[in-house]
Amino acid sequence: MLSELPLVIFTIIAQMSVGSFVVLGLIHLLGGRAGRDVIDKVSDPALYAIGPILALGLLASMMHLGTPIRAINALGHLQSSWLSREILFGLLFAAIGGAFALCQWFTWLTPRWRQALAGLAALVGLALIWSMSMVYLLPTVPAWDSWATPVRFFATTVLLGSLAVGAALVVTADVRRRRGAAADEASDALIMSSLRGIAIGAIAMLGVEFVVLPLYLGRLATAGSVASNASADTLVSTDGGYAVAQLVLVFLGVALLGVFLSRLAKRFSTAVQFQLLAIAPVAAFVLVFAGEIIGRMLFYASYARVGL
Amino acid sequence: MTDKSTYKQLGFYLDQSACTGCKACQIACKDKNDLPVGISWRRVAEYTGGGWSQDEVLGTFKPNVFTYYTSVACNHCEDPICVRVCPTQAMHKGTNGIVGIDPTVCIGCRYCEWACPYGAPQFSADKGVMTKCNFCQDFLEQGRDPACVAACPSRVLDFGEIDELRTKHGHTADIEPLPDPGITKPNLVITAHKNAQKSGHGNGTLANPNEV
Repeated sequence: MLSELPLVIFTIIAQMSVGSFVVLGLIHLLGGRAGRDVIDKVSDPALYAIGPILALGLLASMMHLGTPIRAINALGHLQSSWLSREILFGLLFAAIGGAFALCQWFTWLTPRWRQALAGLAALVGLALIWSMSMVYLLPTVPAWDSWATPVRFFATTVLLGSLAVGAALVVTADVRRRRGAAADEASDALIMSSLRGIAIGAIAMLGVEFVVLPLYLGRLATAGSVASNASADTLVSTDGGYAVAQLVLVFLGVALLGVFLSRLAKRFSTAVQFQLLAIAPVAAFVLVFAGEIIGRMLFYASYARVGL
Repeated sequence: MTDKSTYKQLGFYLDQSACTGCKACQIACKDKNDLPVGISWRRVAEYTGGGWSQDEVLGTFKPNVFTYYTSVACNHCEDPICVRVCPTQAMHKGTNGIVGIDPTVCIGCRYCEWACPYGAPQFSADKGVMTKCNFCQDFLEQGRDPACVAACPSRVLDFGEIDELRTKHGHTADIEPLPDPGITKPNLVITAHKNAQKSGHGNGTLANPNEV
């Protein structure tokens, strides 16, 4: 279960970063009524947090290498290797996303140009997740060579991205409150509606994961090759406990957010209630993050190759 | 004597029907290339299976167990998946059709190791890069046979221009526990053992998974 830990960290963090960026973009697009100032105030801290986290992920990917000093050589085979493309899109996403964050921080460029920059970064980010999925579609590794790989990578992207943003929004608001900032109804309203959207997105992705996993396992277990049998055996028997833990953690996290929102959504007027509400998105994120980490560890543990 | 340093495409030949599984080829390779514990560019897979079969008339049982050996190194494939997926182009198709690795370019990401269905590229933790069979290119230039071929006491291992090997010995390479040759088009020709099973249709098991 501990194989390829640098890659577990890299892929999870990269997916979470892209997901967060896209979800923040959606908040900007859909939260238009709140006004640009309110949206920027609520969402900018989350945006700035993505940078250092993504840098950590890219650093982790280098720890996977036998000769990290030459890491840049990984860009050398774009015409044929998805791994080269993955690294290219990873660096481009970091660069364009970083440029957007700088412009946002220093209010460089017009809002419209900044928006275009953010849109471009989001597209490149999605290309990153796509090429990251394609890396694993090796015809010699039946456990990975499945439509389920891109579906699950994108589900993780949306799930972790949205829950990370949810947690970041309430933590930001909570910190501001503790520092004695005046209550800001417009911001609170935007956070609440964002959380509702996030909960709906998370529930949808939970559904995707819970539908895809049994279909994928069933296909793998009945494929009949030595390699696919070995992988299926790892997933349901050797590391079956982890597989259950993954599903339970992700389910609990999403359920927690859903229940708290439906219970408390209508009466969060006092600071105490808001603080109470803030716990739910953070706990939901922690649970789902742990579940997704275990899921990704299982993904690598399930590696088995045809032939010798 | 033909010049042993220029070929269109080199390949290996194995007469599996007479291979005793002695592993002299494996040891000769390890010795010649000074390979550390954990790295074996040439390995010998032992595939075994069978059980009991019942005589229809007499109702008696007799054993039908089998074992056969497959000596495998890099097959310097026509369509090498290692070269296809390598992000640095360190893995490349070079002179004589040999698939080589440039250790000054390789970053040790081990993606080729994930992909190759013959287990040919192997990671050296000491060097931080991949290593693999280079067909004893230096021996070829001296007019000598590759170490594995030279060491085979049963003379079942051979090498040469793949077209000539195929003219002489046929096209078989789809034998368990080897993968479907369609994946990478290996430059490998095998004279099958009498109990050899077709790739993907075997009912035996690899008896020495830790050695290959």
